Amino acid sequence: MLQVKAGQVEKMGLLFERYHRPLFAFFYHSSANATASEDLVQNVFYRMLKYRHTFTGEGEFRTWMYHLARNVLADAARKNKASLHHQDVADWAEKIAGGPSADGSLQQAQDLALLQRAMARLSPDQREVLVLSRLQELKYEQIAQLLNTTVGAVKVRAHRALCHLKDVYFKLENGSKVREL
Amino acid sequence: MEAKFVNCEGVQEELMDWLAGTLPPARRQTLEAHLAECPGCQQELAAVQRLWTTMGQLPVPEPSEQLRPTFYAMLADFQTAEQRRQRWSVARILERIRAWWQPAYGLRLAYSVALLVVGLVAGYGLKGRPDTTGMGAGQPVAAAEPAAAGPEAQPTQEVLALLSNPSAVQRLRAVSYAEEVAPTNERVVAALLSTLNQDPNVNVRLASLEVLAGLSHDPVVRQGLVRSLPRQDSPLVQSALADVMVRLQERRSVRPLRKLLQQDNLNEQVKDKIEQSIETLSGDQAPPPSTSSTNHETRTLT
Repeated sequence: MLQVKAGQVEKMGLLFERYHRPLFAFFYHSSANATASEDLVQNVFYRMLKYRHTFTGEGEFRTWMYHLARNVLADAARKNKASLHHQDVADWAEKIAGGPSADGSLQQAQDLALLQRAMARLSPDQREVLVLSRLQELKYEQIAQLLNTTVGAVKVRAHRALCHLKDVYFKLENGSKVREL
Repeated sequence: MEAKFVNCEGVQEELMDWLAGTLPPARRQTLEAHLAECPGCQQELAAVQRLWTTMGQLPVPEPSEQLRPTFYAMLADFQTAEQRRQRWSVARILERIRAWWQPAYGLRLAYSVALLVVGLVAGYGLKGRPDTTGMGAGQPVAAAEPAAAGPEAQPTQEVLALLSNPSAVQRLRAVSYAEEVAPTNERVVAALLSTLNQDPNVNVRLASLEVLAGLSHDPVVRQGLVRSLPRQDSPLVQSALADVMVRLQERRSVRPLRKLLQQDNLNEQVKDKIEQSIETLSGDQAPPPSTSSTNHETRTLT
């Protein structure tokens, strides 16, 4: 990124190859909308170019990247709340249940679908901290830097989010069982 | 029981690190030891871990084929835009620099600088002149001190400057000011005499005559007054001067007065006046032994 900052804009391609998937996943987990997520990924890379002078090289590149990604997400959420936020969860769960990634096991596919629904019910903040720590595999130190808070606070937030997710998850699980009966 | 409770709390605290696999081995052992004897925690952790693992398996669809080409198109656009902006700005700067060196601009620049210099010089010169009078005007108190010889130079300068002022009012002021501050200064006297002889304004001449008449104890002033007689052409000044001559009993003035009488365009009244004056003066001077009584009479009359 420092090379990009120094004017070698073409080096941006390297960064794209390395990070567009994690970024896409980040947006996908946050919005459950593949098309919108692609636009957001594009937006992040555009901002990287535009605001490359703000990258000091002191922190990690990934932290900076997620900083931009969070801003992009927040802007998008502000712009069209309705279309972006998990409005088609049922459709989504169905897709996963029948998708090739469910590797044969119906039970696991159901679990995943349930988890998706549970995740969708978390507040954006809670979902974000889980996505960053579990799915983007950022260290708590990095998340703390990103969210401008302490490591302890991040752990507490993640723990609470996980507990909440667990509650929601089992409630949904019970609900679906009741429906099945 | 209480120890176990605290330990269960501890499990909660370390849960996130445990899940992330960042818990130090010693602490992990303690935690797992606790789990072995606490079914509640065991169950809790199992559920959370299952959730955590499932989360890791959450599928993410492949981004579409569009993403990559769109990105590279954007990058290319950005690069060209950037280059254009740089080229544009560099070209602009170069053009401006070149424009400065073009002869037309050079001439204009030189002309502007020359005008500026002229303006500065003129401004400086103009500023210098009123300064002397302005500064002197604040000094009359100091000048009024007769003992102080030093500060006298200042009002003298001022009087001289004022006497050459184009405004008659200012010159009148200068004459009275001269009487006030430096009547004995020979330069001032000379200036007053030349004012009497040459000033275009009758009133100014009359005023300076008045002042000079008061200084008649000075022989230079007396002589100057006598010499001034033939130079006057205004009937007012002529008669006033004749009066002063009579008052001063200046016999040397008889001859110039007679000369004055020979002028053709002399005012009738002035003629009478001068004749009277000559009579008085020469009568006074004429045979002193024979007409001493009349002489006496005339003197008292005047």
